[in-house]
Amino acid sequence: MSGWELFQLWVMAFGTIAIFSFLYGDNPFYKFAEHLFAGLTAGYYFGLYYDTVVVQQLWIPIVENSKWSLILPGIFGVSMFARLIPKYSWMARIGLAFVMGSTAGIFLMSELHGNVLGQMGGAMAIQNSGGAPNYLLTAIAAVGLICTLIYFYFSKEHTGVLGATANVGIWFIMISFGAHFGYTVMGRISLLIG
Amino acid sequence: MKIITFLSTLNRRWVYTLVWIAVIIPLLFPMSFKINTTPEVQSLYDAVENVPDSSTVLLTFDLWPNALAETEPMARTALHHLFRKNCNVVTLTTIPLGGPSVAERVTREVAALYDKKYGVDYVNLGYKPNYVSVLRGLATSIESIYPTDNSGTMLSQLPLMHTVKTYDQIAFIFIVADNGIVDNWVSIVNAQFGKKMCAAVTSVMAPKLYAYMGSGQLTGILGGMKGAAEYEQLVHKPGLATIGISIQSLVHFLIIALIGLGNLGFFLERRAKQKEARG
Repeated sequence: MSGWELFQLWVMAFGTIAIFSFLYGDNPFYKFAEHLFAGLTAGYYFGLYYDTVVVQQLWIPIVENSKWSLILPGIFGVSMFARLIPKYSWMARIGLAFVMGSTAGIFLMSELHGNVLGQMGGAMAIQNSGGAPNYLLTAIAAVGLICTLIYFYFSKEHTGVLGATANVGIWFIMISFGAHFGYTVMGRISLLIG
Repeated sequence: MKIITFLSTLNRRWVYTLVWIAVIIPLLFPMSFKINTTPEVQSLYDAVENVPDSSTVLLTFDLWPNALAETEPMARTALHHLFRKNCNVVTLTTIPLGGPSVAERVTREVAALYDKKYGVDYVNLGYKPNYVSVLRGLATSIESIYPTDNSGTMLSQLPLMHTVKTYDQIAFIFIVADNGIVDNWVSIVNAQFGKKMCAAVTSVMAPKLYAYMGSGQLTGILGGMKGAAEYEQLVHKPGLATIGISIQSLVHFLIIALIGLGNLGFFLERRAKQKEARG
């Protein structure tokens, strides 16, 4: 290991211990590490975005490859900074509207195809275990799905059959929360080990 | 009463100390626990095995450095698995901090073991902001989204990228992630372009993805260090996760004991209060 690598290792070890010291209580070492991390991150982000977006996807294509159509998105991007000047802040809405419109359009399709239709199809299919159809698992999944959905149906008071079904739904929700909790504990311990 | 007082006034630092001891002991005196393979991991392994040899696989490093303990063993084992099958590997990331450099380091280290050449057998595209545009844009032209690789080399100078232009030339997508980006890979790339994919994720992320597994949108899942250890066993490359899982098991025993103690304290306290109320 070279001297430089050894120095890097010591800096990493110091930073890690300084962050962990918060477990004992707030202290100057933690504060220092926290501010150092925030400052470095901000600087790194600025450099990264400038290089990967402004230089690689705007400046070079326009100047070297004569892709003049990129001037318009460039103007939209610059218009975002108009917010800093109150008199011209309205100009920021143009770029923002374009971003919001295109994002909404993309997500509308992706959520419909990926989550709504995909998950509906999955919920209606026969569950498999070990490659063979498992009807018991399919029945449990169907009961769990219906009861959980009924728990979140608030247009009618949860009494009688509706209340009993919602109560079964609570059990499925609690089991799901338990699984999430177990996995979260496992994740946190992995981070400590790593 | 003494037990109740002890449990209710126990300083949380004692719990941290106990956890610390439970982590240190297996490191000093290594233990081994049997690792059983779960169907999700077996399915992921089979899916990678079924990828035609010498085809191109997209391996994503959608991870922050703080989750490396869980995600690095997964990525490392995936690379062993893919390079062993002579697959070409294209890596990219949607995470700016850590993702590009981790991809560079891990890929180069594993590639060196299999005599794989950069630009010919594997390429690291690096990071680009706005993951929605990236995921959609790759379907039209990889080069328009990534004019250069992570080191600034033009894609036209990398022989592998002469044949890999869009998702059409990618046989399989192996996602290594520690955040919600898997949803987008599924809803944009799987749902709209029909690409087969699997996900290796942190423990916190794993439960949600079982729904995608059930619906067939993901072909397999690696969940946390446990999933990584199972995958290492299947690929016959025991590594960091196999070591970590014994520590993990011991700490889990401790946490179960602590939960038991906490509940004991709660019920004893409640009974004592009921007795007091009755006079």
